[in-house]
Amino acid sequence: MKTCGEVLVELLDGYGIDTVFGIPGVHTVELYRGLDNCKLRHVTPRHEQGAGFMADGFFRSSGRVAACFIITGPGMTNIVTAMGQALADSIPMLVISSVNHTYKLAMGHGELHELPNQRNLISGVSRFSHTLMRPDELPELLARAFAIFNCDRPGPVHIEIPIDVITAKANHIDIKIPSRPYAPSASAAAIEAAIELLKTAKRPLIIVGGGAVNASDELIGVAEKLDSPVVNTVNAKGVIPYSHPLAIGGSPSSTIVRDEIRDADVVLAVGTEFGETDFDYFYLGGTVRNGKLIRVDIDSAQLTRNQKADVAICSDATLALQMLQQRMSDNFGKDTDGVGRAKNMRVLLKESRNSGYESFFSVIRSALPDVIIAGDSTQPVYYAWQHYETEFPRAYFHSASGFGTLGYAIPSAIGAKLANPSRPVIGLIGDGAVQFTAGELASAAELGVPVIFLVWNNHGYGEIKRAMINGNLPQIGVDIHTPDFLGLGKAMGCESVRAQNLGQLETELQLASTRQGPSLIEVRQEDFADGYV
Amino acid sequence: MSKSCGEALMHLLEAYGVTTVFGIPGEHTLELYRGIEKSNVRAITPRNEQGASFMADGYARVTGEPGVCTIITGPGVTNAATGIGQAYADSIPMLVISSANDSPSLGKGWGRLHETSDLCAITRPITAFSTMVHDPSEVPELIAQAFTVFRSGRPRPVHIAIPIDVMEMPVADNWQPYKTPALPIPGKDAIDEAASTLAQCESSVIMVGGGAQHASNEVVRLAECLNVGVIASNAGKGIVSDDHVLSLGGGVISPAVQNYLAKAEVVLAIGTELGEADSFIYDLPVNGKVIRIDIDPARFSDAFPASIAILGDSQSACTQLLAALENQDIRTRSQNTKAELKQVRIQQNTDYTDVERQHIRLLDALRDELADDAVVMGDIAQLVYTGTAAFKARLPKTWFYPAGFGTLGCALPDAIGAKLARPEKTVVALVGDGGFMFTVNELATAVEEGLSIPIIIWHNHSYAMIRDGMVKRGIPEIGVNPVAPDFIKLADAFGCPGFNVSSEDEFRTVFRAACEHQGPSLIIATENDDWLT
Repeated sequence: MKTCGEVLVELLDGYGIDTVFGIPGVHTVELYRGLDNCKLRHVTPRHEQGAGFMADGFFRSSGRVAACFIITGPGMTNIVTAMGQALADSIPMLVISSVNHTYKLAMGHGELHELPNQRNLISGVSRFSHTLMRPDELPELLARAFAIFNCDRPGPVHIEIPIDVITAKANHIDIKIPSRPYAPSASAAAIEAAIELLKTAKRPLIIVGGGAVNASDELIGVAEKLDSPVVNTVNAKGVIPYSHPLAIGGSPSSTIVRDEIRDADVVLAVGTEFGETDFDYFYLGGTVRNGKLIRVDIDSAQLTRNQKADVAICSDATLALQMLQQRMSDNFGKDTDGVGRAKNMRVLLKESRNSGYESFFSVIRSALPDVIIAGDSTQPVYYAWQHYETEFPRAYFHSASGFGTLGYAIPSAIGAKLANPSRPVIGLIGDGAVQFTAGELASAAELGVPVIFLVWNNHGYGEIKRAMINGNLPQIGVDIHTPDFLGLGKAMGCESVRAQNLGQLETELQLASTRQGPSLIEVRQEDFADGYV
Repeated sequence: MSKSCGEALMHLLEAYGVTTVFGIPGEHTLELYRGIEKSNVRAITPRNEQGASFMADGYARVTGEPGVCTIITGPGVTNAATGIGQAYADSIPMLVISSANDSPSLGKGWGRLHETSDLCAITRPITAFSTMVHDPSEVPELIAQAFTVFRSGRPRPVHIAIPIDVMEMPVADNWQPYKTPALPIPGKDAIDEAASTLAQCESSVIMVGGGAQHASNEVVRLAECLNVGVIASNAGKGIVSDDHVLSLGGGVISPAVQNYLAKAEVVLAIGTELGEADSFIYDLPVNGKVIRIDIDPARFSDAFPASIAILGDSQSACTQLLAALENQDIRTRSQNTKAELKQVRIQQNTDYTDVERQHIRLLDALRDELADDAVVMGDIAQLVYTGTAAFKARLPKTWFYPAGFGTLGCALPDAIGAKLARPEKTVVALVGDGGFMFTVNELATAVEEGLSIPIIIWHNHSYAMIRDGMVKRGIPEIGVNPVAPDFIKLADAFGCPGFNVSSEDEFRTVFRAACEHQGPSLIIATENDDWLT
């Protein structure tokens, strides 16, 4: 007999899922029955929050979806923060959880791990949350999840399976994967309206967000034909290589870029929310725009938020950009001086850089040119926005924008390394954030993955402390006792060293990238840079 | 003089008797901290908001007063969800004050920092109520409603979310606490019917749960008056001393205890859900007529419907029952209950497995070292399952094992909360090596606060409960044998002593030293070590 749990594993395999993160529990053991006879790799974190962040880093760095197997109750409440971060940044993630027996759902009998109406809680951090009532609907549910992942605004999906359904007979289930829907393309009329606007543009600007992360070629094509500079959000870092003459880099929050957004006569925004954490991180006021706005987004609701569009195009980014590009002649953009404007902004942004952070990131770049960085909410990450640029998408991401979680970088970097075994991966994290998820250092050691945890130690919650000082507030709870990070790393099974200067940092990064297991490198802020300036 | 809403709220909480708040300050909660400085309230900073809610839970468990969390919106709330869920499952009073994004942005999906689509919807399934404040004037009433939940009914967590713009608004008046109503008193008819039923039956048994923690004297007198055995739920352990001749200890896992329960003609259940997590079987053998005393009317119609339902405060119910029984001819009084219970205990002792005997070796030594009023915080660990039956708790609120929600990692932060509430008492954490890793970070909090907490880790290199389940069911052992860190080095990194113990004498010596040490200590007992077998 095949159980629903075993069929689930076969279906996941069919969808190309190769990695699942989870801590088995009394209620999920039956999901593991099928796991030894398949290609699926199971990874055990030390907390379900780690499972979610690992799946997140796995996807962001590779574009491949991972699954999580989570117990009902505390397992789900543990992963909810990671799902929140993924939802805020439109990251797909398949969370399969158990739930108590069908006939016990929401009865409030005091069952082990009971969480009456678990789905209500998870609905707030997922694209949808569904209870599977019998095995027959499993293929349809998974098809719906993958439809969202592939051709809609992605985000986490939660499917909870009652324990009696996990063990139900499922021999009759057809495991053939249905054809996937094609992503929606733009209407001809919308493209026409956009072209009409772009035709007249003398000072166009392209803003690219995470929704365009797969559309590098098309984006570069449109930018070149339009001769328009391109600014990116964090989630779109590297979608246009920084070395490209039309790339601006930096962040839409910097005044240099904000001024250009204000003065552009036509802005083409592709796959961005215009969210505060990218566009107004320093709380200078909302985005000001004097020109026209063309927006491309796969989420129709998003086209109505934050900024009023003159032309709103509901479409997959790649397809819309292809259509735009086809409608543009080679000399479509005339007298727009895109290259000149981009260069000017790049120079200004570079001049405004902080030398300490500039050197810090230069060393990382030169030591590990093809590195992937998973950043936390920590001081150097705020600087990375403007001090660290990449040539490829999916090479830099962090949790400081969007949901803004602490403790993300350690598990996320582990997930990224599992997805990219041949590339070096850094988890860039502050001393406060390390303490949110330090247990996952042990997961990295167990897995034997050579991840580099770069711990930026400024002895407390630096940013909040600054806000307390500025707000004339008592400094409570921000000067915290921190562990000895080298001792902690060693106890967890990581090679652990402190780098006291740039030379040591470069050497240690290179050494770490040759190891078979994880490394922890502590850097103290006072050795490398000023505090927040 | 006017204050900000956040500041005034902190003063109001102080007036309600709040002494301690648990939270990590964020930019969104700064106004609360302005209030803390000008009050006698102490702010404790955990290392993850999950720690905040567990600490508040521990604080509430030993005091009966609500534990208070002050946390940021978004990830702060989702991080705290597991501790809130645990408090919900075990009817623990907890007040969660969180920030929320500024009012105009709520529900808009603008992509604000820490944004959720509907914050209160996330916590609604794990709270008595969860409310968004729109205007400061609502705050005093909402806090009064919360304290009514805590003091006048079935206690549960309450979440009050305050948008940052509301948090900063000036309020003119001095907010004062409302008078909260006393617990409702049971009606006389139900008491009389129950008294005559109990007097006339041939055999009865008392099952006592967390709802009777404050009614220890009354429950003991009732048991003695009826001359019947008492079985405690996980949450009811210690209400009747485990050394009492009428006590069968805690939990209903032992077949001997279940058989005893099966024979009872009448079952008097006081403040207990009769939940699955107390027995780990789905068909608890309750064959007799069920009399239930509960503050929550929903309990009377659950899996064990009440023949006689007594709605109201358990303490008052027991007092009234005693009065009603005074002139009755009680048939169970002449029976040889004590001899029968002795046989049950002998059988129970015979049934222990080898590993359970190892647990008991440690638990007996621990009991011997502890004063009666010492507090033991148990995690989800095999050592603690055994302790539910085998550890001799002598007073209420001295043994805690939150089996309902079943959360790994709760013991250490719960112990921190308990120690902060009751610094004069010895507070011990019992935890497995797997569970400890979930919240290992909170060691730093205990060091920072100088809290003397012996942490006893039962080390079996696995999630043993799950591993055993997999083996039994022929499922491959995947993800259940995690590599543990070097706990001694780990303790050292956090700045606390750690010991491997290899004899009972050594355990006792180390434990005494740990009680003297002004900070946490790790004590590692390894399963199958010679001294335990």
